[in-house]
Amino acid sequence: MNNQTYAKAEDPVVLSVPTLSLGDITKTYAGVVALENVSFDVLPGEVHALLGENGAGKSTLMNVASGTVQPDSGTIRVGGESIEVLSPALAAASGIAIVHQHPAVLPDMTVLENLQVALPASAFAGGSDATASVEQIAQRMLAEVGLTAHLRDRVESLTVAQKHLLEIAKALALKPKILVLDEPTAPLGQDSVDLLFARVRTAVAEGTSVIYITHRMAEVRQLATRVTVLRDGRFRGTADVAKITDDELLALIVGRKLESTFPPKHQPTGDEPINFVLDGFTAAGFADVNASTTRGQILGVAGVVGNGQSELLRALAGLEAFTGRATVGDRAVTPGELLHRAGYMPADRHREGLMMTLTVQENAAVSALSKFKKFLFLSSPREVSEVGSTLDSLNVKAPAMDAVVSSLSGGNQQKVVMARALLSEPLIVVADEPTQGVDVGARLEIYKILRQVSASGIPVIIASSDAKELEGLCDQVIVMSRGHAVDLIVGDDITEERIVRAAVSSTTHTVEVPTVRTQRPLAGTKVRSEGFGRFVQGDYAPTVLLVGIIVLLGAFIFSQNARYLSAFNIYSVLTLVAALGFIALGQTIALIIGGIDLSVGPLAGFLVVVGSFFFNDDKPLSIVALGLVLMFVIAIATGFVNGALIRFGKFTAIAATLTLYIGLQGLSFLLRDSPDGYIGAGMTAVMTTKVGPVPIAFIVLVVVAVALEFALRRSRWGRRLRATGSSEESARRIGVNINRTVVLAYMLTSIFAFLGAIMLMVQIGVGDPAQGVSYTLTSITAVVLGGTSLLGGRGTFIGTLFGSILLIQVLNATTFLGLSQMWQYIFQGVLILAAAVLYSVARSRKKKLEALG
Amino acid sequence: MYAMERQVSGLKRPSRRASKGLITVGVALVILLVASGLLAPSSLSQGAVLGMLPFASVLAVVGLGQMLVVQQGGIDLSVPGAVSLAIVIVSRIPNGDNALLVPAILLAFGFAAAAGLLNGFLVGRLGLNAIIATLGTNALLFAAVLGISGGSPTTTTRLLQSVAGGLSFGVPNSVFFAAAVAVVVILLVKKTVAGRRFEAIGANPVAARATGLRVRVHQMAAYVWGQMLYCIAGILLAGITAQPTAFQGNTYLIPAVAVVVLGGTSLLGGRGFPLATVVAAVFLSQLDQFNLAVGVPYAVRTLVQAAALAVGVALYTIDWSRVRARFGSSTRSTKPKPTPSPA
Repeated sequence: MNNQTYAKAEDPVVLSVPTLSLGDITKTYAGVVALENVSFDVLPGEVHALLGENGAGKSTLMNVASGTVQPDSGTIRVGGESIEVLSPALAAASGIAIVHQHPAVLPDMTVLENLQVALPASAFAGGSDATASVEQIAQRMLAEVGLTAHLRDRVESLTVAQKHLLEIAKALALKPKILVLDEPTAPLGQDSVDLLFARVRTAVAEGTSVIYITHRMAEVRQLATRVTVLRDGRFRGTADVAKITDDELLALIVGRKLESTFPPKHQPTGDEPINFVLDGFTAAGFADVNASTTRGQILGVAGVVGNGQSELLRALAGLEAFTGRATVGDRAVTPGELLHRAGYMPADRHREGLMMTLTVQENAAVSALSKFKKFLFLSSPREVSEVGSTLDSLNVKAPAMDAVVSSLSGGNQQKVVMARALLSEPLIVVADEPTQGVDVGARLEIYKILRQVSASGIPVIIASSDAKELEGLCDQVIVMSRGHAVDLIVGDDITEERIVRAAVSSTTHTVEVPTVRTQRPLAGTKVRSEGFGRFVQGDYAPTVLLVGIIVLLGAFIFSQNARYLSAFNIYSVLTLVAALGFIALGQTIALIIGGIDLSVGPLAGFLVVVGSFFFNDDKPLSIVALGLVLMFVIAIATGFVNGALIRFGKFTAIAATLTLYIGLQGLSFLLRDSPDGYIGAGMTAVMTTKVGPVPIAFIVLVVVAVALEFALRRSRWGRRLRATGSSEESARRIGVNINRTVVLAYMLTSIFAFLGAIMLMVQIGVGDPAQGVSYTLTSITAVVLGGTSLLGGRGTFIGTLFGSILLIQVLNATTFLGLSQMWQYIFQGVLILAAAVLYSVARSRKKKLEALG
Repeated sequence: MYAMERQVSGLKRPSRRASKGLITVGVALVILLVASGLLAPSSLSQGAVLGMLPFASVLAVVGLGQMLVVQQGGIDLSVPGAVSLAIVIVSRIPNGDNALLVPAILLAFGFAAAAGLLNGFLVGRLGLNAIIATLGTNALLFAAVLGISGGSPTTTTRLLQSVAGGLSFGVPNSVFFAAAVAVVVILLVKKTVAGRRFEAIGANPVAARATGLRVRVHQMAAYVWGQMLYCIAGILLAGITAQPTAFQGNTYLIPAVAVVVLGGTSLLGGRGFPLATVVAAVFLSQLDQFNLAVGVPYAVRTLVQAAALAVGVALYTIDWSRVRARFGSSTRSTKPKPTPSPA
């Protein structure tokens, strides 16, 4: 192994000061070296390509450059100035913008809102054209990257390519000094790639330095002026693109240090039967893959990560429907059969591979349980001995068979996955990145096991982004690029160099499926239908539906009983709405951030009890004011405890707020064990003031709901709230302080419970410890009726307002229609279930459409 | 088939050990009993214990049902409606006539199955949020309660009173019923193929799907089994209380969740701890009895329940080894590894 590094570039120092200069950067993770003494310069106005295989250290280096990773040692200079600690905020302020491989977009928010929440207000200031509206400027940002989506489209409905373009638009809008693009073309079609390249060239002409991470040499030649190659976390060389040949570049990329030895390959005798055939095998993410292996051969699937290999393996595991034929042994298999009979080892062990909270034995046995059945029940001795001997034969190292699997090392976890696959007596074994996160010692063992399985006649298919691994392990290798099989390598031709060459020199492009949305509407009718579709899936469709129901129901009741619209009834209904409405507005906030607050009901009840000590007829105004302040403080404290338990105590929202639910109820009974403390007439008079038949409190509620709605859509606070609920991870990456947002949200929820409690106090008229509790479930019902999603990220206060109105109206209706209490429950149950089903179906249909696209 | 040379030192075989949840609630119960003996001997008198056990049994059965749902990462808010409906059906329909008791019980189970299927369909099939779906179902169940009873309480039949409320060998019959239910749940979940798959799906539905398990069927089954157990609890309750009200089930929703959490079952789903759940039910019931004997108001009992819940959740969900590491040494990782299962 040759560790020597060499620089081929002309000495660039003479020309100008580098925009960014990283010197001798070293970074280790738990003893594993990710970067070792890597130096990297970017000059003004150049495109500097960064090449290397998966795991070469490119992303770590760029995370250092953007401040998200702190190096163990090394120097960072931005614009010639040495920087001690580069934080993400400092990096952003220094004009470093990074476009990640996985876009940090918020699915529940619109394109425009995504731009607004990620960019500072100054980005919309207009620059030369001071009269331009925010929409016009945003539209210009989209046009610059060729994104055709409508500003008010929900990002959820965009294609993967469109999301990437949006991410690039966000980065470009900052007019960065240094733009880092991490494999930007992977999901893009040819048109988009051309447009992107043109855009990058314009930015460069304006003086921006671009760091371009890629696997594709063709793109390096098209775009870059210089290229730096990393391998195994080490600097391999920097060169002028014009002065280096493809072969020289390839030599720099390949030649990874061999980390493990391999078991001997299959020696063909010539008469082994063919036991696995793929014929025109096609599914979402890849097309027309063909292969044929004989008994004892291992089939490898190579390529840069994300080029259809995982999709191919998932289809072979029966998790995706496919077209074409897959033959195992001598007969074709269906997806359903594969789902149950394939031994699948997923790449993401945490998410898809193991039940992390269960034991080693439970994980290994789960797909072979019926083997251990004796009459009705499982035979424990048989299970222990059979699972145990398999685990032993794989040399799994764990404290015991009943140790929790999450306590094992990556290598041993992977062996548990293998044990599960083998115990199920699989038709085929499908392994996606089988040695990812596995220590060197365990790798050889895993290779040996895969060889033995293959020798026993079971077809083995392995995907790996490590070409060296496939070279050592496989008898045939398919090389994938953008979903196509670009090469099939057999026998001694399987070398790392040949695999990498096929993968990086491929010029195929992702076939971009044109969706309805990307096509420009031809006629006026189309525009309307698009707008209508957007409305149906928007936040206000439920509101319109509710208004319709409220009017129809009201008209029906009025036709049955004329007193329904009497001033008295209108007044009493709207007073009830005011109490529920405030509490439900608060609940809406909790649901928008993806949480829930079960404690609102007991909190409102408790505050009424507290108030009943202050708001009496004989108390002076100062005492009343004191009571009001006290109630407010209690509310804020409750919200803070809720938020803190969730964010810092890692409680689920249900567990945290349920604890407060019980606790607050207890406190109510502590203060008053029976109803007492009559609310003063003065207080009641103030709160029951009305304009015509409409109580002032209701008018306040409406004003507050409208103001909140406006803030939710237009203010930074509202956008952050929805961003947090939509995708916590993305929100964090674009700079939202999640802890603060969530804790504040719960405090606001409690403040609205406080407002509701003031209304409630007047209605109940006495400090009754048993009252208020039911408002928890009623408020959730009202919010759901209004169309706020329990998944977080989207909601509407106006909808909640109408949800509250409908709920109270229904309860009131039963009295006027002479129906029994039973009907109240029927109406409530049917309303909430119908709303939940209707809204979720409307949203999932869109998801399906997207999946088809 | 894949027999390789057996390693000399094989993996240690599993040993029978009590779960952390069982130890925790077990120890808590013992401490409580000792405290009861010292501070409030009257709470351990024969009369007090015989009065406590039937309600502990009912809570245990309801808790086991809730546990099954929680194991699938759900939560069942239809407990009050379900328990109330069972009570109303078995007391109102026979209306004192012993001969009609068995048909009434069968009818109650029929309603329970329907409610369970509705919940299961809404959550497992349509993917609705468990809170919303079971909230809606709860309202419908109460509609049925009022439709059948008109809201007024009925005296239970004598037969049910003697079967569910009577004593055998000096022990309340409801204890035997609860024990039988617990044994069935433990056997089903821990000792059958379906039960083991059920736990695996609860622990990680995505991984379970990747290994080819029928995720939706098991998720639906959780709600159906839950309803069956609530129904049993309701029938027992109808026999224990002479004149059950139409809203008797309301008092069981919160305690049922509390005993599940105290027993150590994570609200995020996964492994269930039936025995610990039963012990937690006895603990909470005796806690009430103790508070009553000491003479503290109802409020304190509720506060103690809240504290027990908070401690219970904190005990099982906070990664204490990490907390210790964090405060024990100065080396702190800047980016803590995500815990595999924060509950």
